[in-house]
Amino acid sequence: MKTVAEINEKIRRGEAVVVTAEEMVEIVKEKGAAAAAREVDVVTTGTFGAMCSSGAFLNFGHADPPIKLGGGEIYLNDVPAYAGLAAVDTYIGSTSISRTRGMEYGGGHVIEDLVRGKEVELRGRGYGTDCYPRKEIETTITIHDLNQAILYCPRTAYQRYNAATNSRDETLYTYMGTLLPEYGNVTFSGAGVLGPLGRDPGYRTIGVGTRIFLGGAQGYIAWEGTQHYPGKGLGTIAVVGDLKRMDARYLRGCTIHRYGTSLYVGLGIPIPILDEEVARTAGTDETQLRTNLLDYGVPRRERPVVREVTYAELRSGRIVVGKKEVPVSPLSSFRMAREIAWTLKRWIEKGEFLLSEPVERLPADRVFRPMKQVAPVPLVREVMTRQVVTVGPECSIAEAARILAEKGFDHLPVVDEHRRLVGIITSWDIATSVGTGKTRVSEIMTRKVVTAREDEPVDSVARSLELHSISGVPVLNERGEVTGVLTSDDLSKLVGRRR
Amino acid sequence: MRRKVLLRCSRERGGPLLAELVKETGLLPHLLRADLTARGSELLISLEEEEVETLRTSSFLKEKGVELREIKRTLQLDRESCTDCGACISLCPTGALRLGEDYSLQLEEERCVFCGLCVPACPVRALKMGEF
Ligand code: SF4
Ligand code: SF4
Repeated sequence: MKTVAEINEKIRRGEAVVVTAEEMVEIVKEKGAAAAAREVDVVTTGTFGAMCSSGAFLNFGHADPPIKLGGGEIYLNDVPAYAGLAAVDTYIGSTSISRTRGMEYGGGHVIEDLVRGKEVELRGRGYGTDCYPRKEIETTITIHDLNQAILYCPRTAYQRYNAATNSRDETLYTYMGTLLPEYGNVTFSGAGVLGPLGRDPGYRTIGVGTRIFLGGAQGYIAWEGTQHYPGKGLGTIAVVGDLKRMDARYLRGCTIHRYGTSLYVGLGIPIPILDEEVARTAGTDETQLRTNLLDYGVPRRERPVVREVTYAELRSGRIVVGKKEVPVSPLSSFRMAREIAWTLKRWIEKGEFLLSEPVERLPADRVFRPMKQVAPVPLVREVMTRQVVTVGPECSIAEAARILAEKGFDHLPVVDEHRRLVGIITSWDIATSVGTGKTRVSEIMTRKVVTAREDEPVDSVARSLELHSISGVPVLNERGEVTGVLTSDDLSKLVGRRR
Repeated sequence: MRRKVLLRCSRERGGPLLAELVKETGLLPHLLRADLTARGSELLISLEEEEVETLRTSSFLKEKGVELREIKRTLQLDRESCTDCGACISLCPTGALRLGEDYSLQLEEERCVFCGLCVPACPVRALKMGEF
């Protein structure tokens, strides 16, 4: 049994034994947790991943004549910043995107540029008051011109996070990166063995006030993170630190393709090895770190679990999904996580970084509740048109043309004898088949059909109609049989109803 | 540096194009990609710089009606900017991108077929398609 004070005393004398989490795994494996607890004083961790819930509080100081930006508008390099604070305070969040450059440049990039000492254009508008008469401001600032620049991230360092894959037949662009069709790849985030909260899952040594490595400087844990959910092993922390001292190597603005902007944040937590129990969890290897591989092809809050995976499997670069082996992308940099753990280790060894005892424990009983929705989003099966006319692949083109004309439809699903969808035929297909000598529907139908599932929320189908510029989709049940069609008409009726 | 060359011929021709090329020119290209498109078949091969000239001036191309296009593209990795996150890796169809022993990104240009999938997927824009 050791105390943080005793460990700090050793650090001051330059005698503390500091190892990274990777090294600790080996030590525990070799000597057991009890011996490791006696030998090792501190285990360092690290993680470097895109953390969307991150941003910075900035204070510009007053202009002359003064302007009240609070209640007005603030733009930094054309990226909207929050204008709901006092006159010249703002919060620039990583996911805010440029009005001119879109997703190519966002709040995360503004923060990186500030940290690099670059000039950032500030434009703002106020409504004018007796004490703040000015209404507009346009100037350039650097981080040195700011009174305070405080990185504050309400949610970082997820204890673990699910891995992602995609069952659909189209590529998805998600916050888990680009997911190729038909389980074409797997992505995951988190630093595995180096991940900070996973090394102390009972939060015995990590809490409010814990001093940490943040963006290349010393920072602190400010509070439990938003969506902190310890019961599911999904703990998070809110962190705070002085942006002016940080290093852009550990704070990188980024664009997640067709999803949005974010900020890569480098973060590391030292774990004081107080006793055997802490030594044991700090030395858990990656074969024991599990997470779920989820299917992002299902656009619901509860995505289906494809299988359970260990971080060791994910780290290997290839993983078996169904019958095939597919490539895996980590989304957070393990090499950077390692660099952070090593840097923190060196700081402690040199006596530049002392451990701090938490002033408050992180809650162990918090649950993450879903959003309260007054009107639940209806499912496809509740609004689709059930009278659906279909044809078989052997049907003649002439017959299909007659049906389309008679019923005034734009398209006809083509189904096999089990009512399973094999294609779709549109009036356009028929028009272009004239004179080609083709006679059967199967010869001219489109085989790759955008479809909807009965149990999908209508919002995701609306998005799919928009993306593909189509007016309707066949609806399939879980056996792949056509049970209806959902058209933009069905959807617009619904909008009327929901208002 | 090895050069990449795209050979294209119309659909009707068919036949074992690569085998014929080897037999008639004596060159030993690496086959990087083979595609059958509506316009015909396309082979992406790599050759040494001087071999490209040999092929270009050979009678083989004309006889077989094969169009030759040298690929003047490169994929550039900006090491300074790359964070070794790995987001690009699983998108690469040829395994040209992978993490090395030390978990830093390795780009094997020889295997790259310039599909471009990795470029927009890089969160920090460290990958760029260049021309030369
Ligand atoms: S361009 Fe295509 S083939 Fe080349 S490295 Fe990128 S993903 Fe791989
Ligand atoms: S996605 Fe970009 S930053 Fe990440 S490893 Fe690939 S090239 Fe490097």
